[in-house]
Amino acid sequence: MPQLDTTTWFVTIVSMYVTLFILFQIKLSNFTYPLNMTPISPSTSNFTTPWETKWTKTYLPLSLPLQ
Amino acid sequence: MNENLFASFITPTMMGLPIVILIIALPAMLYPSPNRLVDNRLISIQQWLVQLILKQMLLIHNVKGRTWSLMLISLILFIGSTNLLGLIPYSFTPTTQLSMNLGMAIPLWAGTVITGFRYKTKSSLAHFLPQGTPTLLIPMLVVIETISLFIQPMALAVRLTANITAGHLLMRLIGGATLALTAISPATASITFIVLLLLTILEFAVALIQAYVFTLLVSLYLHDNT
Repeated sequence: MPQLDTTTWFVTIVSMYVTLFILFQIKLSNFTYPLNMTPISPSTSNFTTPWETKWTKTYLPLSLPLQ
Repeated sequence: MNENLFASFITPTMMGLPIVILIIALPAMLYPSPNRLVDNRLISIQQWLVQLILKQMLLIHNVKGRTWSLMLISLILFIGSTNLLGLIPYSFTPTTQLSMNLGMAIPLWAGTVITGFRYKTKSSLAHFLPQGTPTLLIPMLVVIETISLFIQPMALAVRLTANITAGHLLMRLIGGATLALTAISPATASITFIVLLLLTILEFAVALIQAYVFTLLVSLYLHDNT
């Protein structure tokens, strides 16, 4: 039975250790499962543009006369 | 006849180079590392699968046992993907090698036993004597329990090796018989169906991994927590 040929045992076992203990565990430890997925509310910016201090209806785009 | 039958289980070397290293490392390349918050479908499916398996597996463990979670999940994924890749015709399955299975079983089992001895010496020694045995039977029972403890890693390794090897051998034999019978009679339709059925059943090699990890798990549980 070729499985009992012990000359290849060292290579097989060492390559298995490298794969199982190093490669797989590095890949799996990179899996992230973020727990708190709350959306960050967009920051309310304080614009101090002069035309916004006084908002009048005439400046609404839809109220302007059609061109 | 013997040589031809077991030819697919010889560790592959190409001109003296051990390409078995590449074959064993191949399943690790099929799990890409996630780089983003929301990855592509393959990585998402794998992450979901890992979470599913982990949640199921770690239910019975306490905090101490859960430190083994990375080891156990990489074990089940490694054996599962190796076995599934071995179902490709003419491929080499590393888990048919007794060397690899012994290399997996003995250190992991020894780790659980040593952990049990270090943290719960009395209760792990108490496993050798079940409750309620008659006094006369105690020496014999201790011997029996010791033997059953030390046979655990051997059973783990040989179980995996024998199951996968037998499955592959059977598929090779029945496939060869089907091919030979095609030229003779159409009764091979039933034999082809048997091959198909066998292949499908062998797809439950994945169930074997579950058996492997579960057995390891039970051992870990018994040694750590009680």
